[in-house]
Amino acid sequence: MTFVISGDCCSDASCVAVCPMNSIHPAPGEPGFGTGASLFVDPRTCIDCGACADICPVDAAKPADRSAPADVERNAAYFADREPLEATDLDTWEPVSYQVWGGGPRRVLVVGAGPAGMYATRELLLRTTAEITVVDRSEHLGGLVRFGVAPDHPQTKQIIDTFERLVRHPRVHWRPRTDAAALRSGGGRGSDGRGLPDGYDAVVHAIGARRSRRLGIAGEDTACTAENFVAWYNGRPDAPPPPALVGPGAVVVGNGNVALDIARLLLSDEEQLRRTDLVPDVRRTLAASGIKKVVLLGRRGPDQAAYTEPALRELLAVAGDRVELRYQARPTAWTSAGLTLDSGEVIAAGNLFTAIGFEGRPVDGLPFDAERGIVPNVRGAVVGRPGHYVAGWIKRGARGGIGVNKACAQETVMTLVSSSRGAASPGS
Amino acid sequence: MDLTAERLLGSASRLSRDPETEIDWDAPVGDGYGMSPEWSTLYGTPYWDELSEEQQRELTRHESASTATTGIWFEMILQQLILRDIYDKPARSPEFQWALTEIADECRHSIMFAKATTRLVDPAYRPRLLARELGRMFKTVATGETAYAAILVAEEVLDVMQRDWMRDNRVEPLVRTVNHIHVVEESRHMVFAREETRERLAGAGRGRRWVSALVIAIAADMIVSSMVGREVYVNAGLDVDRAVREARQNEHHRSLLRTSCANLMDFLGSVGLLTPAASRVYRRTGLL
Repeated sequence: MTFVISGDCCSDASCVAVCPMNSIHPAPGEPGFGTGASLFVDPRTCIDCGACADICPVDAAKPADRSAPADVERNAAYFADREPLEATDLDTWEPVSYQVWGGGPRRVLVVGAGPAGMYATRELLLRTTAEITVVDRSEHLGGLVRFGVAPDHPQTKQIIDTFERLVRHPRVHWRPRTDAAALRSGGGRGSDGRGLPDGYDAVVHAIGARRSRRLGIAGEDTACTAENFVAWYNGRPDAPPPPALVGPGAVVVGNGNVALDIARLLLSDEEQLRRTDLVPDVRRTLAASGIKKVVLLGRRGPDQAAYTEPALRELLAVAGDRVELRYQARPTAWTSAGLTLDSGEVIAAGNLFTAIGFEGRPVDGLPFDAERGIVPNVRGAVVGRPGHYVAGWIKRGARGGIGVNKACAQETVMTLVSSSRGAASPGS
Repeated sequence: MDLTAERLLGSASRLSRDPETEIDWDAPVGDGYGMSPEWSTLYGTPYWDELSEEQQRELTRHESASTATTGIWFEMILQQLILRDIYDKPARSPEFQWALTEIADECRHSIMFAKATTRLVDPAYRPRLLARELGRMFKTVATGETAYAAILVAEEVLDVMQRDWMRDNRVEPLVRTVNHIHVVEESRHMVFAREETRERLAGAGRGRRWVSALVIAIAADMIVSSMVGREVYVNAGLDVDRAVREARQNEHHRSLLRTSCANLMDFLGSVGLLTPAASRVYRRTGLL
């Protein structure tokens, strides 16, 4: 018997670091890490010690006898054509690497208290002696973990507890409901001429990528974007109310896990909804929607779909034959009659949801790569703006789950610390 | 608890390691580092840069031996804590049997560490008198979560260092093997200690939590500050006062320690043992 990682895996790789047998892959740095899929336990070398389960922030690692058979199979399948790594041959482990202390920044501003910002804060606490100010527009920390993860996945939200402990650290100053722009330019205080807010040695922008990508079709304005719908069902205070839900049919355009979340919630029955963390209002609205059938529309083939296999399995388990998966279909117009495809076919539906990905917004004073929706950067350092750094989706695009932000933030902080060191002692 | 214990017993039967047979104790020992140089208390200080590579290597061998000795010291405390805890528990329960398995593991580890330090350096190390006396008291009186969380702290701090050293090919092969054996078996011990700590704390009031948290933090301070003492620098032929002074201000080392203890602090926080008083101690020790 061994341990098994389920599809709820957040890929933050804390399990990789505690596994004494080097059984968990892909590890950070290995091919496949950070692409959004989960991590896997090699059943051939796992000794069933349970260290991974103990550390897992989202309870995704479980003993095989308490896991779904499909999860056991997925873990085994991942290793099917890979050689087992013999842990007693210590050279098969990733070699160690160290970051040498060299001064570091005194005061750092972290913009955004989502996973990328909080992992960056954690890393700054560990690697530097800096005082860290964390600001967020919202009054809550957690960002997309709080307002993006589907409310029927409460375990994934457990990581918020860790974030809350971080902002209680004496070196962290948490400023909710604060607009970073006020610190940067206004408020009577100027910047220091290097484009940094007064008194800060560095800024880490971890503002995410919240805006939904647009389809660019006629009538799209009356559709509901994933951005708005997800914010609404997660109870984000400033979320706009969704359009009236009209049964019996709906279309969700998109083939990522967010599209699947939307389809799953639309098709969950009252009993299933009651087991979630939904606020009562949202739950009542969803239960009364009358939506009986959802077409999930992929503009490309199933091979290009971005959803993970466990997420698809979960949707099918909830919805059965009430969800129809369509691929290679390009929508051209949306009207109250339904969604017209490029083939001329019209899918009758009362609601259209678009979930074809997210993109970042430009940050005042920083360069912006509109094509990729990111701030151009080299390992987290913003190109041409010394002292400015990025982490999370605004750094690498809207891909990868919560935990991937850990490795991402580590890279950014490593860059920050080594360049601040260079600045402190040039030529060393 | 019994479910966890049963699983751990299964794991131990899947892979337990016997240093007696697995390590060739008669093989010649090379002149590799005793630990990853970055883990030396002086790494990153001006003093370190002044040392020759040979002196640096020699220093890490003494530091490694001294740290292992602290490990032995704490493993003795640990064995007694567990033995006292299970003294009148039913012998047929998995929890009881796992506890004895752990004691047996620790016993083997201590012998292994003792032999390895003999091969590594000539002088023998011992924690300082204050630590020894406080340890004597602690192992006699500590119970419940205080005992198990202290076990966790000691083992976890050691564990993270050893994971680095075992993967580092600059480190003497004997030390690498010894560390891997310890890491594998310790992973089970830490799972057990976490489970016991959680269980003992369930329903504990604020007062008890506050006292326990502080006692555990002081124990942690004692353990970490005992790892490398003045004697190490004496035996490595260094200017002791300067070495102690620079080691004390070594932010690189403190940063490594904080990083190693991050998971531990997350755990202590999640079970309510990071009270303000305890946090102050951890910050002073450099763990938080």
